[in-house]
Amino acid sequence: MGDEIIIETDKLTKNYGPHVALDAISINIKSGATGLLGPNGAGKSTLIKTLLGLIQITSGDGKVLGYDVRTQGDLIRQRIGYMPEYDCLTPGLEAIHQVRYCGELIGMNPEVAMQRAHEVLEYVGLRDQRYREISTFSTGMMQATKLACGIIHDPELVICDEPTNGLDQSARKFMLDTLFQVVKQGGRSILMSSHLMDDVERICDRILMIHEGRVIAQGRIDDLKAIDREIEISVWGGASRMEQVLSDSGLKPRRSGRVMRVVRVDDSTYDLILECAVKAEVQVRKMEDYEPSLEDLFIVIMERLGYGVKTSADLLKQTPKGRDIAPANRSLTGGEA
Amino acid sequence: MDDDMSSIDDLFDEFDSEVQRKKETSGGETPADAAAPPRPPAPETEPASETAQDAPATETEYMGQAGLQVTGQARLEAAFGSGEGDESASAQVAQGAPSATGGTIFHQIYRPWRGELNPRWMRNWAILRHHIYGLFSKGHRPYPLMTKLVIFGVFISSLADLGFMALGSITGAEEIERMFGISRGNLYGHVLAFWFRNACSYPIVTALIIGGIISEDRQHGTSALYFSRPINRRDYAMMKFLSVGIILGVIIIFSLCMYYLGGILVNGEGWSYLIDTSGMFLAALAAAFLLVFTYTSIGLALSSVSQGKFFPAVAFLGIILGTKLVAFLISTLFDRSAIYLISPYDNLAHVGQWMIGVNHTYDHPAVWSLVMLLVMNAISLYVLSARVSSLEVTRE
Repeated sequence: MGDEIIIETDKLTKNYGPHVALDAISINIKSGATGLLGPNGAGKSTLIKTLLGLIQITSGDGKVLGYDVRTQGDLIRQRIGYMPEYDCLTPGLEAIHQVRYCGELIGMNPEVAMQRAHEVLEYVGLRDQRYREISTFSTGMMQATKLACGIIHDPELVICDEPTNGLDQSARKFMLDTLFQVVKQGGRSILMSSHLMDDVERICDRILMIHEGRVIAQGRIDDLKAIDREIEISVWGGASRMEQVLSDSGLKPRRSGRVMRVVRVDDSTYDLILECAVKAEVQVRKMEDYEPSLEDLFIVIMERLGYGVKTSADLLKQTPKGRDIAPANRSLTGGEA
Repeated sequence: MDDDMSSIDDLFDEFDSEVQRKKETSGGETPADAAAPPRPPAPETEPASETAQDAPATETEYMGQAGLQVTGQARLEAAFGSGEGDESASAQVAQGAPSATGGTIFHQIYRPWRGELNPRWMRNWAILRHHIYGLFSKGHRPYPLMTKLVIFGVFISSLADLGFMALGSITGAEEIERMFGISRGNLYGHVLAFWFRNACSYPIVTALIIGGIISEDRQHGTSALYFSRPINRRDYAMMKFLSVGIILGVIIIFSLCMYYLGGILVNGEGWSYLIDTSGMFLAALAAAFLLVFTYTSIGLALSSVSQGKFFPAVAFLGIILGTKLVAFLISTLFDRSAIYLISPYDNLAHVGQWMIGVNHTYDHPAVWSLVMLLVMNAISLYVLSARVSSLEVTRE
């Protein structure tokens, strides 16, 4: 696992009239867990629908599990499990019958679907709730049922749209653990769309970030994080002076109080920082390589695109129309895709 | 020299053995050792892989203390407390434990599945079964109890003319037999006559069935479950159509067939009777199919444009009964029957009269009604198709 390409597109474009939803997207997603990130209106839903073979693309090519998204949508959906973001369960049905029915819609025999429904409901932690009506379920139980519906036929790829949406801490942890087991224990692949960077970072080893219908980053998270390595220093006795000296020396500091992060150019950056500290007559009380999170990566990428965002929530919770948008013609690719 | 007298070497040997004994007991170093020249290291007898536990106690060290074996005991005691006094302690034990036989520890194990998936027709059959079996058993589409009771009641009432015919035959009452026997009028009456059963019961049953059949998929988002699977929208709409059509067909068409078949059996009619009446029966059957098709298409179109079951049901009753009422009021004012063209029920009735061969109760040509019927069905199917295409997988 990890080398086989499960999703590949070549200049895939989808227009809704004059609106370009997907703008010549070229992606290569290998098996394993991949996070799909992007602000509202970025094109995530359109991409998912395209990958499911539900909408006709305007131009370009795309293959999922080796099947053409243009002509073999049925075959793709037979081998994919999809877990929608929003409610998609029949309230008056019992969980076991809902999951069984989903299996039958895939093409399983009723008896086999029923047997498998028992297995997957046990797997998602609803063993004792199988015969409860869905209308009495909590949000976490509904999410688990949706996941059970998605994996009843043991698909090669599970597409999860916001799987932890509305879950409390323990339910969220269980959901993430369960998805993790699907990948690690079951050897299946997951494409997970989420607004929560922590969730993506915990499950996925790769990300695909899209914005305004374009791919702005794709690849291994570790490789992408290395794009902007920073050194974090904590100073005492003249932080603003230190910031000025660092800037004068050609470094790029970012300051928050007495803590600064300086973009690491090479190994000599450490010495240069210390020289700056001598010049500025400040104490450097701590200096270490900063380990960026996925959220940091997201913010850096968005800053490059011309957005002034402080957290990912600023951007993800609202459509960024009306902001001062720099030409988004730059994309990042980290290591293997 | 006396042989019994110990030599000086023997004295030194005794001293050496005494020193050695003290070293073994104390583990320390004697002054003699300190003064003695360094001895060559003893040959290594233990293998290199000797564990700390096997090594002599004097060569081990744990947390700066020499002579202790690294057994993990200290950590064990830190974690679970000292074992001292454990033997004399008494624990409170649940007395019911020995009788417990059940209980499961949850292990999250992903079980793969390597079965074969069935083709398209099996998936479509699943949709059909889900909607029809829901009337009879749990685990399928949940219909409200009132809906089930109404459908059952209307089905029984649709067999009423068969029952009366049987009653007339059994009792020998010719009046009853003549009133409910097989005839053009009665075949037309079974399907389309302006009785409560046809004019109200059938529309009510249709309204109850179509109420949520598509609109609830939109309301609850269950359309995502269909379209994220290898179900295309045409199959989805067709199976929904067929489901409603079959339920209505059991009430309207099946009861018509039972009525005709019952008429032959009850009266002991022969082949000649069958040949004589089969034409009008087939015409009634065609009219019944047209009725079921039209009600289903209009009902599903209304269901597909809404979220929830109330609007489609009320709208369907409004279209069927409301247009008839409006047409009736206007026709009484202007003495023109053409206004009935706006009423699906009247168009069906007019075409049914024409097909079965009973007297027309409308002044305008039956073809107009047929054309209007085709137009209504075409519009309904177009709306159904367009709205089913708009059902989303991701979000509405």
